[in-house]
Amino acid sequence: MITVEQKKIEEINTMTKDYSCLLVLGCEMCAAISFAGGKRQVAELAAAIRLSRKGSGEEGEVFEESVARQCEPEFIDLVKDKVADCDAVLSLACGAGVQLMAERFSDKVLLPGCNTTFLGVTEELGVWSERCVGCGSCVLDKTAGLCPIARCSKQLLNGPCGGSMKGKCEISKDVDCVWQLIIDRLSRVNQLDKLEEIFPVKDWTPAGHGGPRKLVREDLKS
Amino acid sequence: MRKSNKSSANYPPCKYACPILTDVREYVQLIAERKFTDAFASIRRQNPLPRVCGRICTHPCETACKRGQVEEPIAIASLKRFAADGLWADQYKAALAIESTGHKVAIVGSGPAGLAVAHDLALLGHSVTIFEALPVAGGMLRVGVPEYRLPKDVVAAEIEAIVALGVEVKTGVKIGKDIKLSKLSEQGFQAVFLAIGAHKDRKLGIAGEDELEGVVSAVSFLRAVNLGESPQVGKQVAVVGGGNTAIDSARSLLRMGAKVVSVVYRRSKEEMPAAEEEIEEAIHEGVKMAYLTSPVKIFGEDGRVSALKCIKNELGKPDAGGRRRPEPVSGSEFSLDVDMVVCAVGQAPESSLFADELKLSETGERIYVEASGSLATSLPAIFAGGDAVTGPATAIEAIAAGKQAAVSIDLYLRSKELPSVEKDKREETQALPSTVIERTRSFSRPSKINLSVDDRLKGFDEVEACLSEDRATQEALRCLHCYLGAKVDEERCISCLTCVRACPLGVPTVSKMGEISIDSFACQACGICVLECPVQAIDIDLDSRAKIFKQMETAMAGVQGQRPLIVGFFDFHGNFGAGDIESLRRDYPNIVPVMVFGVRRIDTVDIFKAFALGADGVFIARCPSDNDPFLEITDRIDRRVSYAGRLLEACGKKKEQLDICNMPKEGLVEKEWVDALIGKIKGMS
Ligand SMILES: Cc1cc2nc3c(=O)[nH]c(=O)nc-3n(C[C@H](O)[C@H](O)[C@H](O)COP(=O)(O)OP(=O)(O)OC[C@H]3O[C@@H](n4cnc5c(N)ncnc54)[C@H](O)[C@@H]3O)c2cc1C
Ligand code: SF4
Ligand code: SF4
Repeated sequence: MITVEQKKIEEINTMTKDYSCLLVLGCEMCAAISFAGGKRQVAELAAAIRLSRKGSGEEGEVFEESVARQCEPEFIDLVKDKVADCDAVLSLACGAGVQLMAERFSDKVLLPGCNTTFLGVTEELGVWSERCVGCGSCVLDKTAGLCPIARCSKQLLNGPCGGSMKGKCEISKDVDCVWQLIIDRLSRVNQLDKLEEIFPVKDWTPAGHGGPRKLVREDLKS
Repeated sequence: MRKSNKSSANYPPCKYACPILTDVREYVQLIAERKFTDAFASIRRQNPLPRVCGRICTHPCETACKRGQVEEPIAIASLKRFAADGLWADQYKAALAIESTGHKVAIVGSGPAGLAVAHDLALLGHSVTIFEALPVAGGMLRVGVPEYRLPKDVVAAEIEAIVALGVEVKTGVKIGKDIKLSKLSEQGFQAVFLAIGAHKDRKLGIAGEDELEGVVSAVSFLRAVNLGESPQVGKQVAVVGGGNTAIDSARSLLRMGAKVVSVVYRRSKEEMPAAEEEIEEAIHEGVKMAYLTSPVKIFGEDGRVSALKCIKNELGKPDAGGRRRPEPVSGSEFSLDVDMVVCAVGQAPESSLFADELKLSETGERIYVEASGSLATSLPAIFAGGDAVTGPATAIEAIAAGKQAAVSIDLYLRSKELPSVEKDKREETQALPSTVIERTRSFSRPSKINLSVDDRLKGFDEVEACLSEDRATQEALRCLHCYLGAKVDEERCISCLTCVRACPLGVPTVSKMGEISIDSFACQACGICVLECPVQAIDIDLDSRAKIFKQMETAMAGVQGQRPLIVGFFDFHGNFGAGDIESLRRDYPNIVPVMVFGVRRIDTVDIFKAFALGADGVFIARCPSDNDPFLEITDRIDRRVSYAGRLLEACGKKKEQLDICNMPKEGLVEKEWVDALIGKIKGMS
């Protein structure tokens, strides 16, 4: 999933202060699973904004709404009336959602309530970690299912650097050296020989370095 | 999972086990909230004899109680007595029908069955007359159960409340003898309910029984005692039988001056039909138990009982009823020196008076009723129920029969039709998963406070004391809130797994395709998942978010103008006592207490709501951690409050305005703590 994190309330207050009538719009998929964009977080944030505004004397109105996913046009069309009635929308989706909203409602002010963080997994309730950067050409078959691009601080493809110590990355003892993990896992599955194959220079075009990416399925599109 | 059929659909096991489907969960919860008047009203609406049942009911609800799977069931009957004995009970007003129907109903017998039908029919607007053969009303409650378990004035007060509804009680009239059954219709009665009970003792069927002086039947002995006739008792007495009647006779004999009382029972203690508690109390008072013993012959001297010859038994194969059959051991005969023998081997209805008019059961003594459950007898307009139909049973079953009869008779009077009553299939209580049991904190059931044996044996004073307010509320807080817990709205759920991860009991489960199920029997309504669910897909019946909001709004509306205004969320599980909330209100009119079943259910949004409603400060008063029914969640409350605190500060509030307070060992909150909090809030620049 895509993890997102709500922005600090101070930043949100600054961003939204000029818009008297504000719509806080939740996104009930990844953002909700990240505890940033579900109905509960919408309620909490709206209450916080109201309280801050009460303190500053300019209350205005703060409305609450949520849709299943802001990255789908059909869902966001369902709230167009609510959007029309406000001065600005504070979207609690990832960057993709905010942008589709902005495209769809071209004359409305769209504000991001969250920072999009990464593609990752849930470790436990309230803890997520990064696993994938969306490089567009997966190498996990060669690296025992562990991604050196997402999880090596230097994105090294051919083994660890000299800073790998006791399984930890030199940038912090809280960060696992993914190359240590790869080597451990390769030996467990009896594939250490895979390391002998040298990665060629990686083509970063599918990773977005060749300009914005687009995915088209000819068989499906109309 | 339990199949949902009409009668069991999400009924808590206590309610489901009760013959009159008492809403036990509701009144227990009201007691926990210290709403005693409401608790009594909840009981009284369904049960016309709450003070009686609070004392002598066999409480099948307790047997079914889910708490019993963790340690011991909730003391439901004691809580009922507590709710019914308090002064607040006098405020109850039954909802009488506005207009009289003009129909007249005769009820024969004033035991619990007769009283219950009279009560319900009177409420429906019918004119009711009870005919009672004895000089006093109350049936076995008055002339069977001894006073040390059920004082006369308690029974009298219950009857008075029923009489107050306009029911007429005519004592000293034996229907079938003084007035023929068939004559009742000539007197204008359009329906009759026969609730004559089972007052005829069965015989032992052994030599010496009929001719010797000193052989008495238990029912007539207890009746004489209860009517104040001070019957003569022997010095050494054998009571034959193993039911409550036997135990009640034995314990009464000790109180009447008998020196040695032995209960002679043919099977072992395990098979004894008397309530275990009663057996224990009897032994405690000095009654001797001769288990696996049958009487063979009564010997006499000068026409008086002098000894009881007995034989020892061993248990053989189970009989049709599933109890192992006692088989005599040859050569094991022995004699008990006694001067009195009390026979308590079962009773049957005295139905011979009606035998020529009414069909009786196949065994010939019980009154026959139709299988439909309507309680209609073989004659039109005549209904019957209670012990007269079932044989000796229990007070609550008799009350249930009375209530059913009221429904049948009412329908019959209005339309000449009879209901067909769906027999509800009573299922076993579902088993709690062992993980849930392990993670549920145990709390002990209050031990009984009983009279000392010396004081008991001086007379017939009531043995058991009523629970105090504080003990009753603590006990009610042990309730596990069956079926008041979490319910997922499948349409809103996004399968985020938060509930699965957050539940302290591990109740929610998920399928491969992400479908969440919350076993509503295993859930104990802690409320954690309700608040953590990011999309608010979970609702709860116990202290729903809407209810907490509402409580806050109502309370805040009453105190605007007080400054600084502080909302305190208090946990019912704190060790506070009677009057503590009132004294808080008096001493601190600016503090708004919001009472909840666990402050773990207070969310950031609730705290913000308090400020939005005008509070200057909020505190969360959590109960001592030993009192919290859920283990290891204290941390969670700390973390949530500090999260809310940071957010509040970012919104321009001061950190002094939100605090956590640990409720003290006694009372709601320590004054010094509150004063300091108020001081801090006042001192904010
Ligand atoms: C000693 C003893 C202890 C018990 N302890 C318990 C206990 O702890 N818990 C519990 O739940 N149950 C207990 N029971 C059982 C309980 O009391 C009975 O199940 C219940 O009272 C039956 O109610 P009823 O209305 O059917 O009959 P009863 O209570 O027996 O009332 C029948 C009434 O009808 C009257 N009557 C009979 N014939 C006529 C007539 N022809 N005309 C007019 N009136 C008539 C009788 O005098 C009597 O007053 C006990 C019973 C006994 C005997
Ligand atoms: S926490 Fe809510 S959304 Fe998440 S799985 Fe449970 S019910 Fe569904
Ligand atoms: S209410 Fe509490 S006990 Fe019930 S499922 Fe939710 S978290 Fe578990």
